[in-house]
Amino acid sequence: MRTLLRFFQKYSNLLLFLLLEIIAVTLIVQGSSYQRSRLIGLNRQVSGYIYSRVDGAREYFSLKEVNEQLVEENMELRNRLDRVSTLLDSASVVNELVGEHRYYYVQSRIVKNSIYKQYNYLTLNKGKKQGVFRNMGVVSDQGLVGIVLETSANFATVIPIINRDFRLSAKIKSNNYAGILQWDGLSPRFAILTEIPFHVDLSEGDTILTSGFSSIFPEGIEVGKIESFSLEKGNFYDIRVELFADFQRLYHVNVIRNYRQEEQLNLENQTR
Amino acid sequence: MYIIARNIFRFVVVILFQVLVMDNVLINGYMIPYIYLLFILLMPFETPKWIQLLSGFALGLTMDLFSGTLGMHTAATVLVAFVRPYLLDLLASRDGYELDTFPRIHYYGFLWFLKYTLIIVFIHHLALFYLEVFQLKVFFSTLLRVILSTILSTSTIVLSQYFVFRK
Repeated sequence: MRTLLRFFQKYSNLLLFLLLEIIAVTLIVQGSSYQRSRLIGLNRQVSGYIYSRVDGAREYFSLKEVNEQLVEENMELRNRLDRVSTLLDSASVVNELVGEHRYYYVQSRIVKNSIYKQYNYLTLNKGKKQGVFRNMGVVSDQGLVGIVLETSANFATVIPIINRDFRLSAKIKSNNYAGILQWDGLSPRFAILTEIPFHVDLSEGDTILTSGFSSIFPEGIEVGKIESFSLEKGNFYDIRVELFADFQRLYHVNVIRNYRQEEQLNLENQTR
Repeated sequence: MYIIARNIFRFVVVILFQVLVMDNVLINGYMIPYIYLLFILLMPFETPKWIQLLSGFALGLTMDLFSGTLGMHTAATVLVAFVRPYLLDLLASRDGYELDTFPRIHYYGFLWFLKYTLIIVFIHHLALFYLEVFQLKVFFSTLLRVILSTILSTSTIVLSQYFVFRK
């Protein structure tokens, strides 16, 4: 008994060290992405407030850049409007425009952005009060950004493409083959498209779009373009996708609200 | 008493500075300066080991809460807090450390502080970055990140000794 006590006394620091490390490792291993998101939800209330204050200054400094982006977007929209108004003469398009008002966009701003970690998250300055909820898609005018993970009254956290937990169904524009888009954790400029079978013809520069197989994004939102591809694991390609969204400069984003998401999910759950 | 208050104050300042300023510093692709280690580096020599370990744990956990990484910073900071006393013994001159001095440039010179910081930061980054990727496939690119970030963090910390945390 006394030797045991002496043992504990002698090695108390080592034991404490081991205990603390075990706690830490348990946290890492046990912490699923769900728990991580809860954790982020916890400190979002505090940090969201602080960041939105800090952001006031950043907003001022990046005014010029934002202005340029808006001008670009304006031009793009005007061009599109022109195209649509000429098309409107033919009756077939009208049906599509009137009948399918499924998606609604909520304008938002990024108040916190991390890009150099393995599990990056964004924080937006819109939350439940403004109609932003879990599992809504987030896009910028350049391309796809991510998916809303958690929301509070006035803030929302987003899991961007550049998070190792991110998964999304995406397809190749030229041939409609769909695969899984994920991130390898290496560079915030590139993501990986997997599960495209080896017999598909690919070419560099092909555009990658959302497939529309999930209820989160409408079909055909631009994600990136093929930078290179290789057949490493035998039957499936590893496609390196250069992302259109520049996460280093991301500032204004739109959250996509799908009016029929609930209906679709309910039906899918019933069928299962 | 005064020293305890000062360390708690430093804890808060270092965390806020890390989360609000340093995490937003953008240096191409690979690097974030982790200046929050200053708290561990500057703890008084005679701090009992168990207090060092527990404060390392608290520091890491707080960082984890802010960055949503659950456990990774904690594991790294506890490791560093455990290693620190041994490292200090190793780096001590023949006379050991004098009473009423702190592990700072002011008392022990630039070279000593650089060595001390470099080793602590390297161990911390090694643990943190490999825990973060958790796969050996990217062994070398992670090692590169560790080395580059170590250089960056160390120089930030050493520089901060001349400007921000002078006293």
